[in-house]
Amino acid sequence: MTREIEASADIPVVQIATIVPIMLTVGANRIVPGIAIPHPVGAPDKGDEVDKAIRREVLERALKAIQTEIKEQTIFNK
Amino acid sequence: MRLELREVLIANVKWGERTEVCDGVLFVNRNEAISYVSDDPRFEYVDLDLARPGESVRIIPVKDVVEPRCKLEGRGEVFPGFIGGMETVGEGATLVLKGAAVVTCGPIVAFQEGLIDMSGPGAEYNPFSRTSNVVLVVKPKDGLEKHEYEEALRIAGLKLAYYLADKCRDAKPDRTKVYEKGSLDEENAKYPHLPKIVYFCMSITQGLLHDTYLYGADMKHIVPTLIHPNEKFDGAMVSGNCVSACDKNTTYHHQNDPIVEELYRRHGKELNFLGVIPTLEDTRLSGKERAAWFNAKLAKLLGADGAVISEEGYGNPDTDLCMNAKICEKSGIKTVIISDEAAGVDGKSQGLADATPEMDAFVSTGNVNEMVELPPMNKVIGYPEAIANLSGGAEESLREDGSMFVELQAIIGSTSELGFGRIGARWV
Repeated sequence: MTREIEASADIPVVQIATIVPIMLTVGANRIVPGIAIPHPVGAPDKGDEVDKAIRREVLERALKAIQTEIKEQTIFNK
Repeated sequence: MRLELREVLIANVKWGERTEVCDGVLFVNRNEAISYVSDDPRFEYVDLDLARPGESVRIIPVKDVVEPRCKLEGRGEVFPGFIGGMETVGEGATLVLKGAAVVTCGPIVAFQEGLIDMSGPGAEYNPFSRTSNVVLVVKPKDGLEKHEYEEALRIAGLKLAYYLADKCRDAKPDRTKVYEKGSLDEENAKYPHLPKIVYFCMSITQGLLHDTYLYGADMKHIVPTLIHPNEKFDGAMVSGNCVSACDKNTTYHHQNDPIVEELYRRHGKELNFLGVIPTLEDTRLSGKERAAWFNAKLAKLLGADGAVISEEGYGNPDTDLCMNAKICEKSGIKTVIISDEAAGVDGKSQGLADATPEMDAFVSTGNVNEMVELPPMNKVIGYPEAIANLSGGAEESLREDGSMFVELQAIIGSTSELGFGRIGARWV
């Protein structure tokens, strides 16, 4: 889906996903590593406050990634 | 370490006055068996039913399958950490009711369970259409959390399997199989020129009712470790998995692991079987990396020349599979992987979610997306409406006449990645 949106609609896509190797294999271009498969954008086991901070950080990193010019598959680490 | 599996061959199962084996028939005292597993306060009621090969019976939704076994001689008891204590097992003698199975079934763990057809085309795809099954159907108390229900049903299934074997411990075995393997030093001295092979048994360890237990330990909290292959025969590994049915390793699969059997058969002839490494499929990338590096490290410490790697499930565990192959191969350990494929209904999609060039020896156990037509059965044990919630099923899968059109993944054990099945795949 990530590749198809970029190819047919020419809209840049950021893929937030936990298992980065799969994203590299399927050809996602902008990759933000997620936390864990059951909760890719948060850490509910760490309590509400920390969870919210993590969610904000991941989202902001994704928004930054979407505005970044890239020439090849890029992983946006923290 | 030496273990005798003393097998009593079971060709049929019937209700009886006493729980015993007579001339290949397992008789079950229904009330006694029910009361043996009913002491869990989490159950509203417990019921038992029987399903035999060739009958027009569908069992749905199936949670686990367990082979009745109990210790006759040697330390500990089967299913250590659950039935037995924490003493390590795998020595002495174990009674096996070969041809019988306990099937656990219940409504609350409705998602991602599977079905067993005892006859018709569906029966061809699963091994439990050929066993005489004692089916445990339980209803939980109202409001019971799903994970509590899963645990209660898991333990009840193990207890029932132990009860059946324990009541038949005086039965005369029809055949005895001996599994014996000494320390690494001893085996290396005996077979200095044979290639040394280790087996990674990848297991789903992802929480949310997707778990595997080793000596009662929830494996998602461990790092990979080493066991003697005999420990598997005594129930060291137990399934707590409510996952896509076709390729989950039920407890029965672990007790009868064909990879262990085959490596044993070739031990001392073609290879030197070092042991089994039960390993994880974590939900975090860092956890997957840690497990893969530990597996390769353990294999290296054992002096392995090669590793046989089996997967459980599909999707994200494909990455564990790739990492295991990649890190081992880069460490000089040759690998072969055993996995099924999710290649779409036409079989033309990429079979695995991940890939790596080091993963170049692959045994396929079939395509989980293959569609199968299952005719109606005269009797349904369990809850047929559960098919809408099964992986490989949809609401429209169950037709008014009781027939079903589902993906192979709805059938328990149909694409077993331990090779405990009859199908494979070919290039298209």
